[in-house]
Amino acid sequence: MAFVKLNDLEIEVEDGTNVVEAARQHGIEVPHYCYHPGLSRPANCRMCLVEPHVFFPPAGAIVPDRQLATGCTTVLRTAPPDRKLDGKYDFIVYTDSPRVKKARADILEFLLVHHPLDCPVCDQAGECDLQDYSHRHGHDKSRYLEVKNVPPKKDLGPDVLLYATRCVVCTRCIRFADEVSGTGELGLIHRGSHDEIDIPRSHEGVPLQVLDNKLAGNVVDICPVGALISKDFLFKSRPWFLEKANSVCSGCSVGCNITVEYKADGLYRIKPRFHEDINQHWMCDDGRLGYHYVNSDDRLQLPLKRVDDELTPTHWADALAVITENLSEVETEDIVVIGSAQGTNEDNYVLQQFAHDVLKTTQLGLFGQLPGEEHKFPQFTIEADKNPNAAGARTILGSANGNVVLEGEALWEKVSEAKVVYLVSGGPERPLEDAEKAALKHVDFLIVQDVLPSEVTQLADVVLPGTTFAEKDGTFTNSTGWVQRIRKTIDPPGEARVDWEITQQLAKQLGGEMNYHFAGEIALAIAENVPEYADATHQKIGDAGIKLADSDQ
Amino acid sequence: MSDKLIQIETPFVFNGENQREFDALIGRYPVKEAAMLPTLHLAQRQVGYITPAVMKYVAEQLEVSVMKVKDVVTFYPMFFEEPVGEYVIRVCHTLPCALRDCKGVLDHLKAKLDTDVASETNLAKGTTPDGKFTLMKVECLASCDVAPVIMVNGDLHKNLTSEKVDEILNDLSEK
Repeated sequence: MAFVKLNDLEIEVEDGTNVVEAARQHGIEVPHYCYHPGLSRPANCRMCLVEPHVFFPPAGAIVPDRQLATGCTTVLRTAPPDRKLDGKYDFIVYTDSPRVKKARADILEFLLVHHPLDCPVCDQAGECDLQDYSHRHGHDKSRYLEVKNVPPKKDLGPDVLLYATRCVVCTRCIRFADEVSGTGELGLIHRGSHDEIDIPRSHEGVPLQVLDNKLAGNVVDICPVGALISKDFLFKSRPWFLEKANSVCSGCSVGCNITVEYKADGLYRIKPRFHEDINQHWMCDDGRLGYHYVNSDDRLQLPLKRVDDELTPTHWADALAVITENLSEVETEDIVVIGSAQGTNEDNYVLQQFAHDVLKTTQLGLFGQLPGEEHKFPQFTIEADKNPNAAGARTILGSANGNVVLEGEALWEKVSEAKVVYLVSGGPERPLEDAEKAALKHVDFLIVQDVLPSEVTQLADVVLPGTTFAEKDGTFTNSTGWVQRIRKTIDPPGEARVDWEITQQLAKQLGGEMNYHFAGEIALAIAENVPEYADATHQKIGDAGIKLADSDQ
Repeated sequence: MSDKLIQIETPFVFNGENQREFDALIGRYPVKEAAMLPTLHLAQRQVGYITPAVMKYVAEQLEVSVMKVKDVVTFYPMFFEEPVGEYVIRVCHTLPCALRDCKGVLDHLKAKLDTDVASETNLAKGTTPDGKFTLMKVECLASCDVAPVIMVNGDLHKNLTSEKVDEILNDLSEK
């Protein structure tokens, strides 16, 4: 640990911490543009200048260093005993001296020289470092009277636009494309004050390559100003009108930490949230842009039942009555209950409890999205399993009394012999493979719980409208054993209900004794009954998640 | 994306002589990327300017992204991205040359060649219709003691007057 005098604070920081981070840990802002903790540090924006103090032998005193230093590249380390300042400090640095304040204001004036000041029409307004720092550290006027550069707005890729006039050329996006995605589509063209971010183009402006990789959306997040803009979010909402909730991406088994931003009428965007061991600062575009199904107008809003071979809307009481009727005379071994890898641990726990306690069946299966492709980048991997909770669902469904959880061929074989199947799906529309379709057609009475009409619901006798990851609380377990919380944002559409509530209602209807009130209560039951999940209460999981003890990977 | 990707129909490759030169120079650098400038000069010598095909080829040879090559090409004004005249006339307009009336030299060249001065992003503006000359202003050519100077392709011409400029142009026209 290094003992540092930071302004008038005496702090201890770990060796190797830079001044920007050390200050941040103690609630002091050192403004910066080019520095990003997930990228290399070129120290080109000069915004994070700080004033180190050094020992000056002729005067026998500690004095401000001759030059200001960039905080992002000034690394704090323990000094040898004979080099301590004032006999005890490893480093003395000021982030609020008059010299630093003047340097900041002057740098900002330079950065704003060509800036169009078009905040009223800029998507970034409200979450813009240029705005915030100008307000907190800048001059209130510019002395620049010459003509401003007006580089054109450019289309960089399927989801990214560049408003080059707003760019401060921090090169975060270029470094991201070089270091994290390794795709290298971005660079600088021209020189000096004519510098522009661009993709490689011919002299006429036709691209040779576009910013079209599965991590491209991250450059919009890391852009500190309004230069890189997501087309998906362009002009949709002012950021200050959005509610935010910490959640977990449901796009694949990595379990990236995300912030869901929403209003009452739906989700507006998804941004990655830092988690050191899972996704660092990043997420993929499949997850980022994969939320649109939640807002879909096609969402199932009412229970459906089959009348004269047509699925017809009905009300909950009726749908549950139809199910009760059809379940009453079926032998236990003819029932198969299939949980969802899209569902939470809580959904699946209630489901297995229903199967075990009420239906008395041990025939449990697991259903989920079809596998996709794995994509590997230098610092990020998108996994092939497109379910957020396959690991959790498998453990939870199989937890009670050694139930075997069937998957794949074994499951569909069992389904084709069953009379009644209760299948929970969820997530984006899931196409059926031929074998799956054939097996489900065999079933006499098929109950499907899903969020969108699909090939699965088409085969159902009763369809129950469930909820997506954005409409419920609960936990997901990722492929490396991290249990993390998702949180309810918007209300489910129409009459749709949280999946475990539907299952519980069904259980009650059939005489079961189950009375959970909220997801956290189910998590407590899981913690009590599933040994691996003994610590996985919502309180302990919090925002950081917990790693299951026996899943070292 | 509204823009379509550019299709490179005839890929660029070094001719025999340039290939030999490239092979020789690539060994002189610790990493391949460091050979960017000489490689681009070789390619520009062969084609006359840097086309998308050249950028792609150079990127492959040096194992870097195409954008890295584009970056360098647009940074240095000595690389051209569009055709230039057979003779590129660079007129120095930095202070010593300016004090020794480089403007007169430039105006004389403009009148003689009947062309405007090229800008970095529009070389055609300074190129004569017959494709023989391209006229451009450049920063210091490091010959302040003999100002004003111009450079025609690789050759420096010193202590210029209108008469000397006429001589140079006559010599070039006769070639």
